[in-house]
Amino acid sequence: MEIAAIFKYLYELLASTGLPSMLVDIIALGFAAVVVFLFLALVALFLVWLERKVSAHIQQRFGPMRTGWHGWIQTVADAIKLLQKEDTTPANADHPVFYWAPIIAFVAAFMAYVAIPFGDGLIVSDLNIGILFIIAITTFTIISLLMAGWGSNSKYALLGGMRSAAQVVSYEVPMIISVLAVVVFAGSLSMVDIVESQAKIYQWYIFRLPFGPIAFIIYIIAATAETNRTPFDIPEAEQELVAGFNVEYSGMKFAMFFLAEFVNMFTVSAIATTLFLGGWQGPLLPSWVWFLIKTFGMVFVFMWFRWTYPRLRVDQLMEFSWKFLVPLGFANLILAGWMKSSGWFNW
Amino acid sequence: MSELRTQEFQINMGPQHPSTHGVCRFILTLDGEVIIKAEPVIGYLHRAIEKICENRTYAQCIPVIDRFEYCTSMSSEMVFVLAAEKLAGIKIPERAEYLRVIMLELNRIASHLIWYGTTSLDLGAITPFLYGFREREDVLDLFEMTCGQRLTYNYIRVGGVSRDIPKEFIPKCHEFLDKFQGKVDDYERVLTENPIFLVRNKNVGVLTPQMAVAYGISGPSLRASGVKWDLRVDDPYSIYDRFRFEIPSFQNGDCYDRYLVRIKEMRESAKIVGQAIEQMPEGDIMAKVPANFKPPKGEVYSRIENSRGEMGAYIQSPGDSKKPLRVKLRGGSYNQLQVMPELVRGHKVADVVAIMASLDIIMPEIDR
Amino acid sequence: MKKLVSAIKNLVIGLFTTGKHLGRHAITLQYPTQRWPMPERSRGIVVLLSDRETGALNCTVCLLCMKACPSAAIRIEYDKDEKGKRILKDFIVDDGICCFCGLCEEACNFSAIKMAPKYEFSTLNRNDLTWHKDRLKEVGLDVPYEKVARKKSVVAKPSAAAATRPSGPDSASGPAAAPDSKVDGGGEPAGEEQK
Repeated sequence: MEIAAIFKYLYELLASTGLPSMLVDIIALGFAAVVVFLFLALVALFLVWLERKVSAHIQQRFGPMRTGWHGWIQTVADAIKLLQKEDTTPANADHPVFYWAPIIAFVAAFMAYVAIPFGDGLIVSDLNIGILFIIAITTFTIISLLMAGWGSNSKYALLGGMRSAAQVVSYEVPMIISVLAVVVFAGSLSMVDIVESQAKIYQWYIFRLPFGPIAFIIYIIAATAETNRTPFDIPEAEQELVAGFNVEYSGMKFAMFFLAEFVNMFTVSAIATTLFLGGWQGPLLPSWVWFLIKTFGMVFVFMWFRWTYPRLRVDQLMEFSWKFLVPLGFANLILAGWMKSSGWFNW
Repeated sequence: MSELRTQEFQINMGPQHPSTHGVCRFILTLDGEVIIKAEPVIGYLHRAIEKICENRTYAQCIPVIDRFEYCTSMSSEMVFVLAAEKLAGIKIPERAEYLRVIMLELNRIASHLIWYGTTSLDLGAITPFLYGFREREDVLDLFEMTCGQRLTYNYIRVGGVSRDIPKEFIPKCHEFLDKFQGKVDDYERVLTENPIFLVRNKNVGVLTPQMAVAYGISGPSLRASGVKWDLRVDDPYSIYDRFRFEIPSFQNGDCYDRYLVRIKEMRESAKIVGQAIEQMPEGDIMAKVPANFKPPKGEVYSRIENSRGEMGAYIQSPGDSKKPLRVKLRGGSYNQLQVMPELVRGHKVADVVAIMASLDIIMPEIDR
Repeated sequence: MKKLVSAIKNLVIGLFTTGKHLGRHAITLQYPTQRWPMPERSRGIVVLLSDRETGALNCTVCLLCMKACPSAAIRIEYDKDEKGKRILKDFIVDDGICCFCGLCEEACNFSAIKMAPKYEFSTLNRNDLTWHKDRLKEVGLDVPYEKVARKKSVVAKPSAAAATRPSGPDSASGPAAAPDSKVDGGGEPAGEEQK
């Protein structure tokens, strides 16, 4: 069953109603956006459950078991619980800033999916600056972190917000550099073009030695830091002294930050899949199934990291990024450029 | 142009904190991220154990002393009972001595497993905590089948031990010991060479041997600084001179060495338990102690090597009474908490947690 | 460079060490549908034991358990009949104070009180933690025990002045300082340990 064919059919149906083509396009895009949004909301709920089960089995215990078969309704129960919590605002908090921070985080997380290909032909809009757009949008989360830290009117939140903003900014650079290495090789910023240049399995960028695996590893490390996961989860660590930027948030606002974090994790996994693992390419199964398999595989790897490694101290984290990842990333980029231009390893 | 001045500010690492190993409060004075001064505030877990003991007979004191250091209850009971036996000049039957050693060393393993779990939890790796507690369940099952409780045992009594081991104990203990070395290898694989763990712990909280001796620190923290001092070997009590075991010690005195010392100690304790089970004779488990136990007048101090250092009990007996006149207990964590402000100076906030975890400070020993 | 290689190798080893647990079955139990079988010596709630044939309580009101308790959790109320023998009126155990040390069980010479391996007795009301004779007897009905085979204890008889109020943890010594035939409270037969 080809999902792309279904969408195409619906689009034809809409176009045949005789509305002006601009309006048809807008309605079609709106519909696609709504579909993607609903899909992602479900994915976020699923990911929360998956995280709990994966962490539980790594620790040789069961995880949620009571709410439904193996606890699959647990996230719904948690969402209902969060919905009914009191929505507190600290005294003397900066109200507009405090109010808009989780919303910006949430919107930024979801907006990146405009340009991510879920399968062959399943992309909301094939921008020809695809990957650049995605990176620009995911950088919005820094603004929301700073807003949350400032608006909470608590010195701990401020410190936590500053630290996490510093962390995210300093790991944007290696992430962009590793992405650029792939872009140089693919010759285009468009996500669909990048996927199509990996038509065969040996053409996947992760296998294109020697720059591919290095770019992949740099990307994974930077992505873990971007999404504030261990070993880079200083902003969220309860064991540390300063509790992080979302300490004053409760109820639905907290739920927005929480969901935004999981959606971000899915985003970086989707980008890793598209850029390094061949996107939706694969034999036999439909393209969107391959995409989901690969993306959930990457999500699983991120979860595995979280439950195995201790966390780095803030200054060690920054040192690692600026003194190690950035030079390595630049060297890798130069290598990739040279490989592309000289024709070596260019299969 | 005046130079840029930063202002120091104080933060309270309060008694309710996931990483202070009990209820310990620190008032930290920070300059940015660097700690200038750290002041511990204690007393949140004071239960007046020493005062309570003044109104209990020696046998009734033992459940109370259990709670003095509840992570190593057997050691707490042992040190008190050793003092009482020294006062009264009681000799313990052989089997009771062996049983005591087995229980003490199993308790040491359990306590080090708690330390391992909480250390990795404080540093952010949550999984080894559950692995440590999985092994601890086996040890606690052994205790429960012998004396009936998992944490506060009321097992070591004046004159011997309260009950003999049931017949399931030795096979289960062998089963535990057989798989334990493999499990400790697993723990090491997750943490010991992990670069993140190394960079968090190497050269953090360096305790020089002179400072350690000056502050009266004992136990694994002392041995990690290069001073090879273990009461089981240097001032032997009970029958420790009959067992072959190594005393691990390292040179640097940083958090990483303290970690290595305790991991090695877990392995050595397992060896001691194995040897004790082999050598244990049959016999009585309790000496003939009079029902109204009234030790003669005098005072005595006895000490043992606990998993956290030297644990001591000082008992003053008035002579013709079933109750002690004064009981004073000494725990190793007290000295280690005293040295903490020295150690954390100049480090970052996140290191307070790492240093406290590596020194293995727990509050019940300090506050009593 | 060698440090880098060793760092990556150890990171991967760590991953695989946690990863291999994913294939193993979980070791936790799904309480309350699955319960851990408690060892027979496990010290749970205090119960009063009754004679299997007659159904009467084994307690002879010797008051030794009351004196042995370090927390003064036991209170015994009794009357005296014409011959001066004590008759049990009420036996009160405050489980909120009890520290589950088992000294009462060791003090008893008549297999009247035991720490049963039962533990599910939490309540919402703190007053419900004080158990009286009937509840203690009822919960103890299905607890297996062996009649203690021990010599009479050498403890002096408690004086009549030690009346119904908790005498506190003084007077008689604890059972630990006891002749060594009194080694357990009904679990294994006393003869097994003396080879």
